[in-house]
Amino acid sequence: MQLVINAFIAGSLAALIAGGLAFVYGILGVFNLALGQIALIGGYTTWWLYQVHSVPLPVSIICGMAFGALVSWLIFEVFINPFYKRHRFLPLVTTIALSMILDAVILMVFRERPRSILPGVKEQISGFGITISPVQIVMICTTLVFLFLLAYFLHSTSFGRKIRAVTQNDIAASSLGIRSGLMHRIIFIISGVLAAAGGIYIGIDTSLTPVLAFSLTIKAYAAIIAGGKGNIWGAILCAYLISLLEQFAIGVHWFGTFYISAGYQQTVALLVIILFLLWKPNGLFVSSSRKA
Amino acid sequence: MIQFLLHVLVISSVTSCVTLGYNFVFGKGKILHFGQLVQTMVAAYGLWVPITQYGQPFFVGLCISISLLLIVTLLLSWLSMRLEPDGYGVLSIALHLIIIAIVLNWNSVTRGALGIPKIPRGILPSTTFGYAIVCVAVLAAWVFFLWRVDKGSFSRNLSALSENEWHAQSLGVSRARVHAIAFSIASGGSLISSILFSPYQGLLTPSDFHFPQMIFYVMCVVAGGPGKLWGVLGATTALVFLREGIRFVSISPSYIGPVQLLLFGAILFISVWIRRDTVFPKERKI
Repeated sequence: MQLVINAFIAGSLAALIAGGLAFVYGILGVFNLALGQIALIGGYTTWWLYQVHSVPLPVSIICGMAFGALVSWLIFEVFINPFYKRHRFLPLVTTIALSMILDAVILMVFRERPRSILPGVKEQISGFGITISPVQIVMICTTLVFLFLLAYFLHSTSFGRKIRAVTQNDIAASSLGIRSGLMHRIIFIISGVLAAAGGIYIGIDTSLTPVLAFSLTIKAYAAIIAGGKGNIWGAILCAYLISLLEQFAIGVHWFGTFYISAGYQQTVALLVIILFLLWKPNGLFVSSSRKA
Repeated sequence: MIQFLLHVLVISSVTSCVTLGYNFVFGKGKILHFGQLVQTMVAAYGLWVPITQYGQPFFVGLCISISLLLIVTLLLSWLSMRLEPDGYGVLSIALHLIIIAIVLNWNSVTRGALGIPKIPRGILPSTTFGYAIVCVAVLAAWVFFLWRVDKGSFSRNLSALSENEWHAQSLGVSRARVHAIAFSIASGGSLISSILFSPYQGLLTPSDFHFPQMIFYVMCVVAGGPGKLWGVLGATTALVFLREGIRFVSISPSYIGPVQLLLFGAILFISVWIRRDTVFPKERKI
């Protein structure tokens, strides 16, 4: 049972980041390999405001997400927009360059030391064979609220319908007067906000270190590939499933004696990518576009 | 100063062997392959683990290394044909991370993060000057071989496939054969680098195989001009000189790594910006 709870905690983080990534891939068709760095920027901004400048936590969190949105918008204008209409693979290389630049900036500004947004909070609740901290309960609930709001925004507002129209057919949506360029920007910014929320989640739950970025991005990719490239809900569900797999892979003594070293935890997500790419390249929940 | 220049010569020669091979896959073939270090790691550990950990002669290590490399080459080649380009790109990154996780965690064989010390130089020269001469000679032979390949029909087939796969196949170009040869050339570069690099350092360590090193290869190819033999050779030499030379700039040692990342990230971005129409070209129109 503890493993399921752990999977839910880790999965909530992965779901936030994978959701944003799936959103961008589904509409723009580009892979953003710097999303892990955007997550860290959100987390570090919150840490800096709360720990260094004693800004109240809710304000710090909002500012962290707002800064994530601002950085995402700048990234779109400089590293994505001039390239993705020329060839959809170009942003893959430009975002690799961007990830190096952001890694360097994070290392120079915040150094390699782990930074925790709430370092003193160690309170745990135990019962029914599980242990969880109140902060983790809040984080899981907040993630679910976030995802619920995203679902409401996408499916029950006219703006969300415009976004879904652009997702299904960019050109047809433009012919109906929807400004697809603006939608692309908004979608990219939403993915940045979700990633920044993920970074804040890490900073509160454990601690932020610069080396986390790449593994966050790769795990999110595992989720979107398994969920069906571009299917946001499939990606979110698969983020939880992959976290569950990771927890079971390293947390269970297989056949009573054999166990997998914790060093291979991330390998589980990577194996999921490979298996899905080989046997089900379109993922579990393939979203099909409407045909005329 | 002389020692530094010789050191740069050794490192740039060894790195060029890899980037020139990789250039055939990523540069000329436009295959979104980010797993070149998978080949290099397999070649290096396949070669030096039997020799240093199990006392086998060099020839046995070389045979094991080539056998493993052949399997990996065929696997990568097969995967590159089976998957969509971006899917393959992500898969090659995943493969790289899996291999490095194995190297880091299989302590009894690879000694994990500590790496394998005392890699013998064998018949290779013990002085830096002698080593540099050997490396340059090997590089010259490798460049000559690749130049001949570049002038041959295989190179034209590879370019045709990268430009329009269906048209090329309709003209009788075998995608399976061309991909297998391209990945084999890349593996050849990795094997040469494995033979020369670890004895020069005297150490085989996983820290030489992290993803930023792969990005360095991508950067050399993009900056030199994808598919251009002499361009990639020049770019690799210049970038290795820059990377090694940064150590002598008077900045705090803790900032050297980030400054390198910043500089190379900027170079990669500017290179892509300049070559945005040629990195992944569109079909030619009459």
